[in-house]
Amino acid sequence: MKRVVAAISMTVPGAAAACALPPSVILTLPVGHYIVGAATVVAVTGLTGAMARRLPAARVIEFGGGGPKIAGVTTYLAFAAFLALVGVGWLGPRDPMHNLMTLVFWTGVWIAVPLASMLVGNLWHLINPWTAPVRIARVLLGRSGAAGLARYGMWPAVIGLAGFLWFQIVSLSPDDPAVLATAALTYWTVIFGLAVAEGEDWLDRGEFLTVLFAMLARVSPLWCDGRWHLGWPGSQILTMPALSRAGVAFVTLALAGLTFDGLSETFWWLAVIGENPLEFTGRSAVQGVNTAGLLAVWGLTAAGLLAMIRAGGLASGPVMLSFLAIAAGYHAAHYLVMLLTAGQYTLAALNDPLFRGDMLLGIEPFYVSFGFLADRTVVQVIYGAQFAAILGAHLLAVVLALKLAGPARPWAHLPLTGAMVGYTVLGLWLLSTARGI
Amino acid sequence: MTKGLFTPQPGRRAVLGGLGAGLIAGGLPRGAWAQSAPIKLGFQLHRTGIGAGYGRWYERTAQAALKVVNDMGGINGRPVEIVFEDDGTDPKRGAEVVEKLASQAGCDAIFGPLFSHVVIGSAPRAGELKVPYLVCSEGYHVASGMLNRWTLQPGITDVRAQVTSMAPWVMANLGKKVTMVFPDYAFGYDHRDFFTEAVKAQGGEVIAQIAIPPTETSFTRYLPQIPAETEVLYHVMVGPAVLTFVKELGEFYGTGARPQIFGFIDSLEAVDIASPGLEFLEGTHFWEAHNRVKQADAGADEVFYRAAVGVDDNGASISDAADVSTYSHMFSCWETLFTIKAGMEASGYAGPADRQKFVEAIEAMTAMPASQANPQGAKMFNGKTHQVFGHQFISKVEGGKLMRVHQTTMEDGMYPDAVDYSTMTF
Repeated sequence: MKRVVAAISMTVPGAAAACALPPSVILTLPVGHYIVGAATVVAVTGLTGAMARRLPAARVIEFGGGGPKIAGVTTYLAFAAFLALVGVGWLGPRDPMHNLMTLVFWTGVWIAVPLASMLVGNLWHLINPWTAPVRIARVLLGRSGAAGLARYGMWPAVIGLAGFLWFQIVSLSPDDPAVLATAALTYWTVIFGLAVAEGEDWLDRGEFLTVLFAMLARVSPLWCDGRWHLGWPGSQILTMPALSRAGVAFVTLALAGLTFDGLSETFWWLAVIGENPLEFTGRSAVQGVNTAGLLAVWGLTAAGLLAMIRAGGLASGPVMLSFLAIAAGYHAAHYLVMLLTAGQYTLAALNDPLFRGDMLLGIEPFYVSFGFLADRTVVQVIYGAQFAAILGAHLLAVVLALKLAGPARPWAHLPLTGAMVGYTVLGLWLLSTARGI
Repeated sequence: MTKGLFTPQPGRRAVLGGLGAGLIAGGLPRGAWAQSAPIKLGFQLHRTGIGAGYGRWYERTAQAALKVVNDMGGINGRPVEIVFEDDGTDPKRGAEVVEKLASQAGCDAIFGPLFSHVVIGSAPRAGELKVPYLVCSEGYHVASGMLNRWTLQPGITDVRAQVTSMAPWVMANLGKKVTMVFPDYAFGYDHRDFFTEAVKAQGGEVIAQIAIPPTETSFTRYLPQIPAETEVLYHVMVGPAVLTFVKELGEFYGTGARPQIFGFIDSLEAVDIASPGLEFLEGTHFWEAHNRVKQADAGADEVFYRAAVGVDDNGASISDAADVSTYSHMFSCWETLFTIKAGMEASGYAGPADRQKFVEAIEAMTAMPASQANPQGAKMFNGKTHQVFGHQFISKVEGGKLMRVHQTTMEDGMYPDAVDYSTMTF
């Protein structure tokens, strides 16, 4: 199709519309200075930390009881809401920005839930659609044993995440309400079956959303595990067991997914794959090459990070945990703008789901507005927030890596610090470079 | 005035109309229409993908027009519904959306797509399914004969007419020696080819054609290629780097002498001309299809249209002065919907069996006067090429606002027919 369209475009004059992506304010900002500054800060922090005799202790305060065990009720409500959303996806408006299935999943579940969890602890634990139905099903079936899935460890979650990232970045229409509803229900059913067989605790290892959101929530300064805790962001990460091979695959895949999601839209990538960045052909034309790209970025990320860790003689299992901070910062920075744009459609649809003038959230009907993206000051503030998230995440990762590595020679950290400087530059570059999609 | 189940306050009414409220309940005079099956129109919307910025305003304008049409009593006494489907600005999905709208949703006709490559990828399917397909694309592909008899463009002029019609005024008022700066792909070639031809016909000359690779995000190295004797610099850069282009052009000329500068508002749709960094554009000229700033002689139809869509006198959303609309493109959705109404009424359209008669009724249309149905201005429809012709506007940036200095005649943009769809089979 791409070749046919390109051929037509070249032979028939007038076969091109006078429209393209809107002008970008960010391209006029001096982000180069920011990137150099951030790289320097990360490098200096890494070097001084490596040479320091002692790193600051991660203090944690415990308080209060655990609070009522409400997960059984809240996840049941979440399950009911999930079924309702699937119905809306199939039967509701076809326009994705007016359909709550698309909006609640891509803006609510994929962005708002992890971002909030980074501040107040793991929310997915309370609102995932499996815990309650799995519990009920196992009781009704009188099932209390396992089915032997434990031996696969986190690999099912790796497979799930890989499939999800392909769906999100490469598949033809992940926003289509009916497509999304069918995909979600199919996935839910598979996981439901496996979890009923194995036990609800399996979700913590085998279901990718549960694994990912729990990992991202580990940067939260506030968390509850029987008692409430308040500590430095990342304190939880220091107490996690070392990542297994599957865990390392999972973390590198999550990072690669974020990286490629951004990279695939850049002028740079479009030029590499032979697409005109001013007239992108469409997702349908690049499915093969973007599948390859996603896999390649995963491979490079995994190989590169492991090489840098091992080059210093450090153990990858524990040290790779430090990259959870980077994944959290990337996730927040990468999806911030979408939260502000699609988030408006989500609020409008929650406020007035039937489009007849209701105000369920008490908000007056409003026009969704993207004017803020053309305002230089606002764009600078947004970039500043993204910058803070990326830089903060990398500084945290540097400190965590130093602590997780245990006793080691200072120079052992150099390659990994170099990798983190590179990741800082890459992340900030992705946020500010020209995009054709 | 009470309609349906509730009476919205005046301020909310416009917004609700814009949101498509009243499609499902309330807002429609239910009593008289309870018996009539609605007319279902499909809208192929660029909700995601590179067209999303335009899609947002296309949907808003279509919803506003829909409300007006239903308030007027619908089409042939039947209420009108629009089913919006997202094509992802992707030609393959476009074809699938055409199929869904025609076959699954049972739409009587489909309208709305803008991006050329999507139209080209979708129109054949509309032809196969024999569903009227009215595009809002400003592409020359309709009149070029590339598509089929089911595809029409009655709501927006095409780029060939737009570019051609600029030459007479530019030659007479700005200069005769032109340097063109354009992106090095089909869109840029349209401007290069049509304008060069039109300039020659007016006794002028394009002395340099500077094609810039689409991957470029900085342009300083190309600017010295502009010959010193250039009288008019014609620029049509598009995409994310446009603000950079204007900034670098400003730095290149500084406060010194510069040629007259002429551009197309496509470069800056949805961008405020008064934005910081665009100061260099002061005193330069732009093509506009529809003046985004309300001009002094704006009539009642223009005022009505702005209020219905929710756009202020600067062409921005009434709820956010920074949210500038795609004013030179979105009127196409409004005018196309009214053309659909006129065509269905002229042909006595009762159902899909009458689709052919509906297309023939539109082919029979000629002059469309400026009216509430055509707020952009009077049009002339060419039933053979399925393309409408109209007035184009030239504006000058004065005090950060685009003020109209010229309105072309329809003849300025006309060109010989390349096809006669009306002799083709359906």
